[in-house]
Amino acid sequence: MTRKRTIVFGLVAMLFISLIVMLGLSYRALEEKGASFTAAMNSVLLAAISLYLLLILVLLVVRYAVIILYSFLDHIESLRRGDAVYTESELNSLPMVTLVVPAYNEGLVIQPALKSLLELDYPNYEIIVVDDGSTDDTYVKAMEVARFSHDVPVRVITKPNAGKAQALNTGMSLARGELVLNMDGDAKLSPNTLRVCVRHFRDPRVGAVAGNVKVINRDNIWSRIQALEYIEGLAMARRAQSFTRTVNIIPGPLGMFRKSVLMEVGGYDHHTYAEDCDLTLKLLMRGWHVVYESRAVAWVETPLRLLNLLKQRYRWTRGILQATSKHRWALWHPRKAGVNFYILWYMLFEGIIWPFSNLLSSIFFIYVSLNYGLIILLFYWWVQLTMLDLAAATYCCVVEDEEPSIIPYSILFRLFYINIIDISKVLATIEEWRGYSMTWGKLEREGRL
Amino acid sequence: MDLISILATVILATTIATVIMGFVAYAAFKLRERRRPGGRGSMDLPVDDGGEPIFFTRYVPNGMDMRPAAEERSY
Repeated sequence: MTRKRTIVFGLVAMLFISLIVMLGLSYRALEEKGASFTAAMNSVLLAAISLYLLLILVLLVVRYAVIILYSFLDHIESLRRGDAVYTESELNSLPMVTLVVPAYNEGLVIQPALKSLLELDYPNYEIIVVDDGSTDDTYVKAMEVARFSHDVPVRVITKPNAGKAQALNTGMSLARGELVLNMDGDAKLSPNTLRVCVRHFRDPRVGAVAGNVKVINRDNIWSRIQALEYIEGLAMARRAQSFTRTVNIIPGPLGMFRKSVLMEVGGYDHHTYAEDCDLTLKLLMRGWHVVYESRAVAWVETPLRLLNLLKQRYRWTRGILQATSKHRWALWHPRKAGVNFYILWYMLFEGIIWPFSNLLSSIFFIYVSLNYGLIILLFYWWVQLTMLDLAAATYCCVVEDEEPSIIPYSILFRLFYINIIDISKVLATIEEWRGYSMTWGKLEREGRL
Repeated sequence: MDLISILATVILATTIATVIMGFVAYAAFKLRERRRPGGRGSMDLPVDDGGEPIFFTRYVPNGMDMRPAAEERSY
């Protein structure tokens, strides 16, 4: 295993070195194309854009380097922690956990999801299903499971439809546990989830634990690229944030909280379409530590079709912007906001600056390729970014123990996926800025759980 | 044409295609979201007109009333 890691980290280092070589080659290629490049740079606008893109590229490389370093340090911490093994007396004194499962029209997946929850390896927990005014048979199917369950108390509550935030708040208010685990009705949890999450609360400063989310339906190119996207997002950014105890989004499919902390911050707000992000920011603003537990896994379905994927990303983009906007004072008060200042700027970089820059770079390179014959510029730009993606994917697959066969999807990610997603993010950002109205969208489930 | 030029052309063509696809897909998504049954574009009779359905038998889950759909909010 150690040898495998050495090989992989050697490979990542080689990719970074290749990136530097590639930069040198692109500079040489520019020298050869001197005349047309000089002609292009005579335009003040094009010169400004190329300088801006160069700055973004430098920022991106720094971002990757810092995130991978912090993520690796967190990975080492996680290896030291090991699996959650408790003695007999510890098992008897473990705190009670309440699982809150909000469900709206989850008739297709609610039973397998609940049955998987009954098999969790933990001695002291209960389940509350909140049927949020479903128009299908979610309530009936959840009740069937509740009747069968003898070892684990299962309560099913039905209420008029009012959205996920209210459903979670309802569940939280009825929770008997000291800790509350919020999840999605369509998620399946790994059996060790409660054991590995609970131990983080030994530290009284920890207010919440974010879980790992993995894609279960890796059936076509879209879902496989999303699987890689999830792996990278969690193994890099989430782990790096966990090292500084500042995870900025506790994912909807799996997040564990102290009930007292949820009550303190007033639970979920209804004003945003990314209630999980909003709640996490509220916790961080009050100084609570938020950590990530990679061993606690929630398996979820992702959209298999492009338009469903856009619907999901549209809601995420606008929701995150709404949540960020609620706490925007922290953007302009670094002394008072402390670490939250960096968290919010990081979120803006990821949510706005990077998608805009990516779209700008595509348009810029298309223009200079067609008008000045500088197609080589696009080639080197693309190769450099793809190398970064490959290095990141290789690193992430090692720390997450994922199949190496998913690594090549990072080429497809750069080739077409990210352009389409970033365009939808840019347009969603513009709509949010212009204040267009929006509604929740129900994603169609395949019932793979 | 050397290999780099061929690859560069492929990347250029893909970039142009995906940028166009990104905008077209977003427009399609917005169009789909805007269209709702019973909206301005609906020209047929309403479904609950008391008559028998012509092609399909309506599905009613066991033990459930057909409650009116609440405001569409979900996750």
